Amino acid sequence: MEDMYQMDRTMSTEQDIKIRANGVQVYYADNQAIKDVDVEIQDKMVTAFIGPSGCGKSTFLRCINRMNDTIDICRVEGDIRIDGEDIYDPRVDPVQLRAKVGMVFQKPNPFPKSIYDNVAYGPKIHGLARNKAELDEIVEKALRRGAIWDEVKDRLHAPGTGLSGGQQQRLCIARAVATEPEVLLMDEPCSALDPIATAQVEELIDELRQNYSVVIVTHSMQQAARVSQRTAFFHLGNLVEFGDTDKIFTNPEDPRTESYISGRIG
Amino acid sequence: MSNVMLVLIVLGLGVIGFVLGRGRAMSAAGGDRRNLHSLPMYYGANVGLNAVVPAMLVLFAWLIVQPMVINSSVSGMIPEAEIAEGSNLSLMMSDVRRVAEGLDLAVGQGAMTEAETRSAGEDLDGLRDNLAGVGVALGSDITDSTFAAAQRYRVLAGTGHLWKTIATITASLIGLAVAYRMTSTTFRARNVVERGILMVLIAAASIAILTTLGIVLSLIFNTVEFFRLYAASDFFFSLSWNPSFSGRGGGSELGILPLLWGTLYISFIALLVAVPIGLFAAIYLSEYASKPVRAFAKPLLELLAGIPTIVYGLFALLTVGPLLVSVFGRDGALGVDWMQGGTAVMTAGLVMGIMLIPFVSSLSDDIINAVPQAMRDGSLGLGATHSETVRQVILPAALPGIVGAILLAASRAIGETMIVVLGAGAAARLSMNPFDAMTTVTAKIVSQLTGDSDFASPEALVAFALGITLFVITLGLNVFALFIVRKYREQYE
Ligand SMILES: Nc1ncnc2c1ncn2[C@@H]1O[C@H](COP(=O)(O)OP(=O)(O)OP(=O)(O)O)[C@@H](O)[C@H]1O
Ligand SMILES: [Mg+2]
Repeated sequence: MEDMYQMDRTMSTEQDIKIRANGVQVYYADNQAIKDVDVEIQDKMVTAFIGPSGCGKSTFLRCINRMNDTIDICRVEGDIRIDGEDIYDPRVDPVQLRAKVGMVFQKPNPFPKSIYDNVAYGPKIHGLARNKAELDEIVEKALRRGAIWDEVKDRLHAPGTGLSGGQQQRLCIARAVATEPEVLLMDEPCSALDPIATAQVEELIDELRQNYSVVIVTHSMQQAARVSQRTAFFHLGNLVEFGDTDKIFTNPEDPRTESYISGRIG
Repeated sequence: MSNVMLVLIVLGLGVIGFVLGRGRAMSAAGGDRRNLHSLPMYYGANVGLNAVVPAMLVLFAWLIVQPMVINSSVSGMIPEAEIAEGSNLSLMMSDVRRVAEGLDLAVGQGAMTEAETRSAGEDLDGLRDNLAGVGVALGSDITDSTFAAAQRYRVLAGTGHLWKTIATITASLIGLAVAYRMTSTTFRARNVVERGILMVLIAAASIAILTTLGIVLSLIFNTVEFFRLYAASDFFFSLSWNPSFSGRGGGSELGILPLLWGTLYISFIALLVAVPIGLFAAIYLSEYASKPVRAFAKPLLELLAGIPTIVYGLFALLTVGPLLVSVFGRDGALGVDWMQGGTAVMTAGLVMGIMLIPFVSSLSDDIINAVPQAMRDGSLGLGATHSETVRQVILPAALPGIVGAILLAASRAIGETMIVVLGAGAAARLSMNPFDAMTTVTAKIVSQLTGDSDFASPEALVAFALGITLFVITLGLNVFALFIVRKYREQYE
C-alpha cells in the first residue's frame, strides 16, 4: 500500500515536470558559480529559490532561458530540458526559447519608451495582436496583472523610465506576462515593492500558477512560504535541499537549510 | 631684461618662497608637523603662490597698458598735415614703431652707437640705409616728425621697461614677504592654497573664453565695416557671386547664396555617405564584433580621422574625380555626359563623407556602448532577436546621442576647406546637378584673402562676413547637438 502510493506519486510528477536540470555547472571564467545542480520544476506550480546573497540563484535562473549566453565569460555545462527538449541543443533557437520562458530581472529595466510601448514590445515582436484594439486589450490586461494599471492608466504614453523604482518593477512584470510565456522566471520581483504591491504581485503569481510554471527568487522566507509549493535552497553554488515548501520550512533535512531559515547563516 | 627673463626671475622667487615658507612653518612648529594646522607643503605653496601670482598679474597688466599709453602720447607728435594721402594715423604710427625698432636693433647689433642715433636726425636718408642694413626696410621716407616721434617712443619704451621690471619684482617680493610673515602654526594655509588654486584655474578658463570673445569681436567689427561698404541685403539675397579684382572697386557681386548652396549641397552628400556607413560600422563594432575584432578594427577606423584633410583633397582630385568622370562623363561607362570635369560637388561630397565616417562611427559607438546591458537583457529576455533589440531598443535609446554625433559631423563638414578646394572647384554656382563644379563658403574665404587685393576693400572684407555667417551656422548646429546630447545623458539617471 505504502509502495503503491509512492509509485503513484512519482508517476504523476514524472508527467508534470516542466523543467528538468541535471548536473548543471556554471563557470564565470575560472570561477565556478553553480556546482552540479539537479532540479525538477513542475508545471503549474510555483518554485522558490532561496539562499544567501551570491550563492548563484540568479545565475541558475538565467540558465533556464539561456540569458547567460549574453555574458562572454559565462560557460554552462550539464543538461537542462524543458518539456523533455534539451535547451542547450545547437538546434534550439534561444530567441524562441526566451519567448516561451519569460523573465523579470532583479533590477527593473524598463526600456526608455512609453509605458504602453514597454508592455506592447513583446506582443508586437511575436505578432500576438491582429490590430490596435487587440493590442490595447493585451496591454491593459498585462498592466492589470502587474498591479499597476490604476497608477498608469492616465499616462500610458509617459516614459516608463519616469516611474518610481517599485512601479518600474511592476511594469517589467507586466511586460513579461504580456507575451504569455509558459514559464515565468522572477528574480526578486518584490524587492523594491511596498507590502500592498507585494501582495498584489503574489496574487498574480498565484493566478499565473493556474496555467504556467513560475520560478521565483526571493530573500523573504515568508514570501517563499506564502507563494511557493516547492522550495530550493542554494548555498555557495550547491543545491543543498529541494522539496515541498512545507517540509523545507517545518522540517528541513540539512542543518545548513535549518540555520539559514532560522536566520543563522546568510 | 627680456620678459622671459622677468618671468623666470619671478618663478625663481616663487621657489625660494616655497622653501622659506615651509622652513618657517616647520621651525614655528618646533619640527613637529602635527603642531601645524596644515601640511608644511601648504605653507610653502602659500608663500610661493603669493610671490608669483600678483607679480604675474602686474606684468600682464603692464604689457597691455604700456603700448596704449605710449601710443597715445607719441601720436600727438605727428601733425595732421603730414599724414600723407591714402594713409592714416595708425599707418604712420606703425612707421614710427618700425623706425624705433630699427634704431634699437642697430644699436643692439653695433651698427650705430647711441650717440649716432641722436644725431641721425640730420641725415634721414643715411638713417634709412643704415636701418635697411640691419634688416628693417621702410616703405616711405622718414620725415622729421616721424624721427622725433620714434626717438620719443624709444625713450618712453625704455623707461616703461625699467619700471615694469621694478614693479614686477617688487610685487613678487612684497607678496613673498607678506605671506612669509603670515606663516604661523595656526595659519590655515591649506584653505588659502585651495582658494589660490581656484584663482589660477579661473584665470586659465577666462583666457580661453576671452580669446574666443576676441575672435568673435574681430569678426563682428570687420563685418560691420563690410556692411558699410556693401549692402547687407545684397550680401544675403543676391543670387550671384562675382567679385571683381580689377582694383577699381565697384561692380562686385558678393551674394552668399551660391556659396551657401554649395556648402550645404556638399555637406549633404557627405552626410549621406558618412551617416549610414558610420552608423552601421558603429553598430557592428559595439553589438556584434567579438572583442579581438573590436580591439583591432576600432583603432583602425579612428586612424581615418588622423589623416590630414589635404591628403583627402589629393585623393579627391587625383582618384575620385577622374573615376567619376570615367563613369558619368561624356565618354564614360554610362554615356550620360553629366559631368564635365573631375571637380564636382559629388567628388568633394564623397571624399568628405569618407573623412567623416570615423567621426560618426566613433561617437556613435561610444553612445551605443553607454546603453546599459540591462536594456539588452530586457529585450532579449522577451524573445527579441539581436537585430530587433538593436533596432527597437538600443537605437531609440541612443538616438539623441547619435543625432548629436551627426550634427557634430555636419558642422565639421560645413567648415571643411581643403577637400572642397581640391575636389569641388572654385566656381560659385547655383545648380541642382551634383556633377557640376561648385564651391563653398570656406573655400571662398581663402581665395578672397589670399589674392593681393586691398584689405580695406569689400572684396577682402567680405571674407569676415562669410566667416561670421558660417560661424553662426556651425555654432547653432553645435549648440543644438550639445543640447540633444545633454538631454540624452539624463535618461538613465
Ligand atoms: N557577470 C558575472 N561575471 C562574473 N561573475 C559573476 C557574474 N554574475 C555573477 N557572478 C558571480 O557568480 C556568483 C553568483 O552570483 P548570482 O548573481 O547568481 O548570486 P545571487 O544568488 O543571485 O545573489 P543575490 O541574492 O545577491 O542576487 C557570485 O559569486 C558572483 O560574483
Ligand atoms: Mg541575484
